[in-house]
Amino acid sequence: MTEALVQLEGVGVRFGRITVLRDVDLRVAAGEGVGIVGPNGSGKSTLLRVLATLLQPTDGHGTVLGAPLGKDTPPAVRRRISLIGHQPALYGELTLEENLGFVARLLGRSHDDVVKTLSKVGLGGALDRRADHSSHGMQRRVEFARVLMTRPDLLLLDEAHAGLDRHAAALVEATVATVKRRGGSVILVSHEPDRMLPLVERIYEIVDGTTVEGVPEP
Amino acid sequence: MKKTLSILAPLAVVGVVIGFTFAMTAPIDAYQGIFQKTMYVHVPSAWLAYISFAVTLIASIGYLAKKDLRWDRIAASSAEMGVFFTGLALMTGMIWGRPVWGTFWDWGDARLVLTALMFIVYLGYLALRRSIAEPTTRARRSAVFGIVAFVQIPLVHFSVSWWRTLHQQATVLRPETLTGAADAPIDPLMLRALMVNLLAFTLVYATFMVARVWIAKLEDEREERHALENIEIAGAAISAPDFDGGFDD
Amino acid sequence: MTAAEFWRQVFEIARKDLKVEGRAGEVLSITVPFGAVALLLLPMAIGTEKTMLAKIGPGMFFGVTLLFGMLVAFRQSASDTQAQRELLTLLGIDPAATFVGRSFASALLLLVFEVILAPLTVILYNPPLVDGWPWMLLIILLVALGLAFVGTLAGAVTAGVRTRSTLAPLLVAPLSVPLLISSSQVYEGLRLGRSIIPWIVLLLAMNLALAVVGVATAKPLEETSR
Repeated sequence: MTEALVQLEGVGVRFGRITVLRDVDLRVAAGEGVGIVGPNGSGKSTLLRVLATLLQPTDGHGTVLGAPLGKDTPPAVRRRISLIGHQPALYGELTLEENLGFVARLLGRSHDDVVKTLSKVGLGGALDRRADHSSHGMQRRVEFARVLMTRPDLLLLDEAHAGLDRHAAALVEATVATVKRRGGSVILVSHEPDRMLPLVERIYEIVDGTTVEGVPEP
Repeated sequence: MKKTLSILAPLAVVGVVIGFTFAMTAPIDAYQGIFQKTMYVHVPSAWLAYISFAVTLIASIGYLAKKDLRWDRIAASSAEMGVFFTGLALMTGMIWGRPVWGTFWDWGDARLVLTALMFIVYLGYLALRRSIAEPTTRARRSAVFGIVAFVQIPLVHFSVSWWRTLHQQATVLRPETLTGAADAPIDPLMLRALMVNLLAFTLVYATFMVARVWIAKLEDEREERHALENIEIAGAAISAPDFDGGFDD
Repeated sequence: MTAAEFWRQVFEIARKDLKVEGRAGEVLSITVPFGAVALLLLPMAIGTEKTMLAKIGPGMFFGVTLLFGMLVAFRQSASDTQAQRELLTLLGIDPAATFVGRSFASALLLLVFEVILAPLTVILYNPPLVDGWPWMLLIILLVALGLAFVGTLAGAVTAGVRTRSTLAPLLVAPLSVPLLISSSQVYEGLRLGRSIIPWIVLLLAMNLALAVVGVATAKPLEETSR
């Protein structure tokens, strides 16, 4: 097996009295896609936030892109992680172009890159559209443009297919394939495994707050 | 903590009894009469208010450095004590001010104004704590505010006292000469009574602090035990919808 | 991180905040009129005697700036959603740069608030023009910056809290007392020919203290640490 980009051992997350995750073991190799399934509220998104170094676990330990969890993650490591969550990380008052432009300047990318990438995801005709006047699918496409621009080594997708049309779904697949081909890892979270099956090598199911490997019973 | 408490609590009670006796047997002030006796409560309260908030500051820094909730419990408990003592200082100050200055509130007394501001700042601190449910978020944010608040106190102090010195009114009795400032002459018996009360109040603070921190610790431990013994898995709270072919019954 | 990179992040955050606010328009269309109405209402409560209004005018201006202007720092466009906060974290933005950038943006907007309300105060209250009045421009700037710092800090500790709209002002108001007293006392000092240096030093000290605390606590305040 190749080098593991993500490794969790006995990871648990508690919020006061509530245990969201316990004893989670997870290992994702470079170039590998892994799916995580589970019903609503089972802790999938929490696990994704732990993997994104946005939430430090209460128990256990692990590494993400070589950086140990539970300590402050260096910004250089965080820049190699992309997360697309439930809520779009966009500024409603800014146009789609300005939204990506903000990210581009912080990453030191040119404005040409912004226009080119937005065209790639099929938004070349909507550059001046305000994000809050754009549909959910369009906002999602901007987020995928951001991923393409970031060129992450770890891509985390939370219900990536939700509410997307055929073209956008193809965009998800192409993005996942690109990250894997470049030697990165992709972790997809969904409550419906069907659409992500073609994108992943392995599937974990969250049962009783912990991960069980294997394709779940339908 | 139980052991510390069993020593501190009786000491505090004895201290308060002795302090009260000394205060009552100290000579009666020639100008202010019996009202001067509020000083034996007022000065120790004001002193402990500052001590409390300084402890909150140190514990706040401690929390941010160590990320250990023990520090947060100390910061919170001390802020509660601080608000209590600030309130007591304000009340005794006003009760004393009414007969001596002829008014409950005198804008001429910078310290009174400053005490009122501190009271509100730390009421805000406690309100902030009440507004955040998640323990680590609460600890982190109130620690930051605990630091900001204390850093501002000297600046608020300077601004208020400079402002008041510019508006010095020609009153016969300046508060500075009445409340036992170092430059004012004070009867040795009065000074002794004041010192005994300072010590007694400090013991009361220490007792309540140990008790409060202990209670907070027990509460946290109960939560922790509860979480570990009856594991409430977040996902387990959600089950399949219960319907039989439809929701009409 | 190099200093150049830090300041570039500061600039980008401030630019983004200002652009969002430019579109949302909360400050110009809501907060400024709210402050104006305060200046208009207060004489109705305390009387319209001309010499008294002239005397209290500058103080009223700074009081209104503190109590109403602070709402500039709590405007919607100065608070991020969780997704936006997480994006900034993953982009490797220094939380201290976010604090400084956001404070600068708020300070600029507060300056706009003050620059609009100052002439209105002059019209409504007619305070005497004192010698050395250009000093007041510096004071207005320092008040805007100080209020922006303390407002950004209070905004950060109350982010996402349900009672935020009242809690944040409660936290800010008593801590802003040095701003209120120094600014009105500089005017008094100029009017009476007294030294204004101590007050300016106090304002600078407050700005410095808040900047240092804000930068130092930005990292531990980040939600991701535990």
